[in-house]
Amino acid sequence: MPESYPFLLHLAIFIPMLFGTILLLFSGSLGEAFVRRIAFVGFLVPAAVALWLWIAFSPDPVTGYAFLSTVPTGLEIVDISLKLGLNGISLPLFVLAGVVGFAAGFYALVSGAERLRQYLALLLIMQGGLMGVFASVDVFFFYFFHEIALIPTFVMIGIWGGRERHYAAMKLTVYLSLGALLSLAGLIALYVQSGASSFDIISLKAALEGESISEVAQNYTFALLLFGFGILVSLWPFHTWAALGYGAAPTSAAMLHAGVLKKFGLYGLIQIGAPLLPQGAENWMYFLALLALGNVIIIGFVTVAQRDLKQMIGFSSVMHMGYCFLGLACLSAVGVGGAVILMFAHGLTVALLFLLGNCIYRRTETFDMREMGGLARNTPVLAAFFVTAMLASIGLPGPGLANFWGELTVFIGLWQYREWMVIPAVFGVVISAVYGLRAVGNIFFGEPTEAFQSASKGKRIPDIQWHERTPALVLLVVLILVGLWPRSLTDSIDESVSPMYRIVVPGEEASVTGDDGEFEAVSFERAEGPVSCCSPPKRGPAGGL
Amino acid sequence: MSNEQLIVSLLVVPFLSALVIGIFFRRRHEIAAAVSIAAASVVLLGSLYLIFGNIREEFSYEWMTFGDYTVSMGFYFNDLAALLLFVVAVVGFLIHIFSLGYMKEDPGKARYFAGLSLFMFSMMGIVFANNLIMIFIFWELVGLSSFLLINHYYHKPAASEAAKKAFIVNRLGDFGFLLGIIWSYWHFETLNLFEMAALVEANPDILHVGIGLLLFCSALGKSGQIPLHVWLPDAMEGPTPVSALIHAATMVAAGIYLLCRIYFLIPPEAMVWIMWVGAATAIFGSLCAITQTDIKKILAYSTISQLGYMVAAFGLGSLVIDGDAGTAIQAGIGAAMFHLVTHGFFKALLFLGAGSVIHACHHEQDIYRMGGLWRKMPVTFAAFTVGVLALVGMPGLAGFFSKDAILYLAWENNSALFLILAATALLTAFYMTRLWLAAFFGEPKTRASRDAKENNWIMTAPLVILAIFSVVAGYDFMHPAIFDGIMQEVPHAEGADFALVAGVSVAVLLAGLIAGWLFYGVGAREDRLEKQFPGLHGFLSARFFFDDVYEWYVVNVQQRFSSLLNFIDHILISGLIVRGAAGLVGLFSLGARAAHTGNLHVYVYWIFLGVVLMWLVVKGVQ
Repeated sequence: MPESYPFLLHLAIFIPMLFGTILLLFSGSLGEAFVRRIAFVGFLVPAAVALWLWIAFSPDPVTGYAFLSTVPTGLEIVDISLKLGLNGISLPLFVLAGVVGFAAGFYALVSGAERLRQYLALLLIMQGGLMGVFASVDVFFFYFFHEIALIPTFVMIGIWGGRERHYAAMKLTVYLSLGALLSLAGLIALYVQSGASSFDIISLKAALEGESISEVAQNYTFALLLFGFGILVSLWPFHTWAALGYGAAPTSAAMLHAGVLKKFGLYGLIQIGAPLLPQGAENWMYFLALLALGNVIIIGFVTVAQRDLKQMIGFSSVMHMGYCFLGLACLSAVGVGGAVILMFAHGLTVALLFLLGNCIYRRTETFDMREMGGLARNTPVLAAFFVTAMLASIGLPGPGLANFWGELTVFIGLWQYREWMVIPAVFGVVISAVYGLRAVGNIFFGEPTEAFQSASKGKRIPDIQWHERTPALVLLVVLILVGLWPRSLTDSIDESVSPMYRIVVPGEEASVTGDDGEFEAVSFERAEGPVSCCSPPKRGPAGGL
Repeated sequence: MSNEQLIVSLLVVPFLSALVIGIFFRRRHEIAAAVSIAAASVVLLGSLYLIFGNIREEFSYEWMTFGDYTVSMGFYFNDLAALLLFVVAVVGFLIHIFSLGYMKEDPGKARYFAGLSLFMFSMMGIVFANNLIMIFIFWELVGLSSFLLINHYYHKPAASEAAKKAFIVNRLGDFGFLLGIIWSYWHFETLNLFEMAALVEANPDILHVGIGLLLFCSALGKSGQIPLHVWLPDAMEGPTPVSALIHAATMVAAGIYLLCRIYFLIPPEAMVWIMWVGAATAIFGSLCAITQTDIKKILAYSTISQLGYMVAAFGLGSLVIDGDAGTAIQAGIGAAMFHLVTHGFFKALLFLGAGSVIHACHHEQDIYRMGGLWRKMPVTFAAFTVGVLALVGMPGLAGFFSKDAILYLAWENNSALFLILAATALLTAFYMTRLWLAAFFGEPKTRASRDAKENNWIMTAPLVILAIFSVVAGYDFMHPAIFDGIMQEVPHAEGADFALVAGVSVAVLLAGLIAGWLFYGVGAREDRLEKQFPGLHGFLSARFFFDDVYEWYVVNVQQRFSSLLNFIDHILISGLIVRGAAGLVGLFSLGARAAHTGNLHVYVYWIFLGVVLMWLVVKGVQ
């Protein structure tokens, strides 16, 4: 029943929102069991729909979208319509949102949080917003859903957060609102200049194919998008909200934000910014790549210095965003494709790490890794989960750890963009091994520290329980599935990315055509790299890599 | 079952075994061991069928595509792969059996066997892979299984540290390897070994020395070459059968195999570097082994030294000047692979022998706290002795033939290298004599060694089988025509050259043995070198300060650098700039508040000023 797919898409967005609103409005009069049941359904529906649509996905060859539908809202007079659908770039993120949302929701259900109804209600609203972000074809609603998802985050940190929650919530609000505002300005500027009569991406693209925006305007508009979205994705040096915010956020909120909502900015740049403003993107990409290397190297070392588990996970997530930005900076199908895989894989792993980090905290009652040790003796299964998640996060290629595919693809694309950048980027892999293994060793191996021994005296430390294990397994299974069989995602990503971004054109210098003085350094750097040794491959039948 | 399916299943079976044990039999130790050994048997039988059925295949499946960039899961089984597969399958199976005895009482037995299966899976992947990406994937996976197995006694901080160090140092090597792979991709437009070989054959000038050296980084890490050897001695914290399988016979040898597999990508200029790194490692390893007292560490440094031998042999091929470079490289491969095979057998034997001794002595590893074991453990003693003789290169045993092939190659091509390798052989005989005399002869020095008893057949049978291989692996009948692709290339000295090389080889062997005997004496209680030449001993036991440099780097450079960046991140970016910006906004708003006086006239002036400003802005933009 292909006609019913758009309806499923609506369900995935509006069921959680509706249930969330019900919980908020009638929180007093609903029984606890009923609240749990309704919330569970609210989290389950998007996940089920996402998995179903993943299987059923077959995009329309002209637009590249599947499951397109338009819901009348009355806003059509101002060119805004609630147009929903998925293409190869949004599909992975839609699935990611569904899966991580389910895991985070499930964990929230069993978390025993105070004022559980409100907590669940906010999470459900956030979940609906997230599904909406990636299902929106209309730029206005894309932004609108993001705000719906973002506002509950602030509230959840402020109310259910850990230490420093007020400062963290304030800082997060300032940063993210600023980022959102800049990107909104950029989106409006894009719409105004395109001359399109609709906010939806397909018409915008069609309008811009006719006549594109002048280069100067592209530069300014793209800058707004880049920095707006960049702040939202913790681009260095606008990242300081991230580790602090995640450190203070309640686990489920951190899972959803770090795992999914943070990808909004990258998604916006990949889906909207770079394809619609190609020249602006070209001119800014070198600068972006340099900042992204800051994410990888500087934040990589900062992560090594962390002693607090949650902060470390937060910083490592900032670091890995650097790889996504590097993939985007290539502006090639390979680089952007790699970035999308990495966004997907990273979303699952970082959510898993936050979840397991909280499981560890429940046992050790501290996040300070120096006060832990030898936990594997009591909790072998938790250790196995955590080691797997950490190894996935640091890009171990493995039987089914999808992150490696993303990183490798980004590196391959990056070499073609700027050879020298591959060296620091790949070195980041060594840095992440250092902090990843140090964390694993400090928490699980060796002898328990004295502090930990005295703190846990007389208590039996239980291994990971079923209610913790279930959401972790959900995340892990999807990760491994994609890792073992990357084509389940990459085929559809490739279909969408290839027409939007350059593949590899023989002889073309993959560099900037800017006449702006600021970008002259680019061609200089280009000449310095070991270019001579390496001719770009010709377009032709696929090599058997 | 078609041959393709058989090859794929050899890869999949150990993986499934690890998975099944991990999920279902974590606490059912006996079942876990049975599953893992069953998987090892399947691998052994399947491999023997493939090898001796002379089945050679190449095929691949597509894994992922982006535009032109495709990653495939590909298999390429040739004579070279068959040779390594033989070692991996046989030694792997024997070590599974041995572990049954060695790990009998271990509380983490199921985890251990799952780790062994995971390792077999990863190793199979390296053996079969037909493209560099797939090699890299399994390359990292053997690193992972090595990490897990070194970390077996995870409650010991030393084991945990050693595992971490092994993984990170290997990743450092893989950093270069991955760069080499990415570079190769854009250079050759493919990563398939077959296609790259064809490209190089068509146009030898396409080679780039940088690519060759970066790809060599892989072996630098995994095969413990200077300066990335530091992890290997520490890795002895793992259970002894693991040291035998992974850190002596197979994984560390995979670096040599990889070099031989991609030799056509390495230009002669890079070969020279590789040769000298190998030679330096060979002599370095043997010097370090002299002062060690831990039986496993002696063997570990000996492994480093022998791996250096193989790398040097591989690099030697380049030195035949001009013209016939192709065959010279092949000779280097032949010699390196030949030594890899014989070494795989006798070093696994030595490690298992050491394991047998350690097991009998209740985990005593200091050779000066053993003694007199030859009477108590006759089978182990006999097998270990065969291993020692094979390692030092006693004529008639496997090590003699393979070592002579390398020495001959060196004699023909580079006399400086010949001297270094001969000196290494002398030192090898010297330190092995020390070990052998101290551990097996004289009086038992501790209660544990006094009470030592021979282990049961589960542990001695693998020793006997490996001892047989250590004798016969050097003879031609062990290398039937099915290995021709490689074994034909092993250089053989003839006539006068043979007499000279064999003569030198036997002379250094005897010199080393006699010197060791005279210097250390039978059943010594303490290290005479340490007593009489403390300066020399101190110098050697400092192991050329590699470990100190690493430690200094980690503590003083990496840690401080990251703390500094963390500080900057916190104070400068988060504190000064962000809060400073917030302060500026605050100041601005103070000013703005001052402008709001409540006086209507003032507001009118403000509005007027604003209009003028706007007009100017619009004018300016246009």
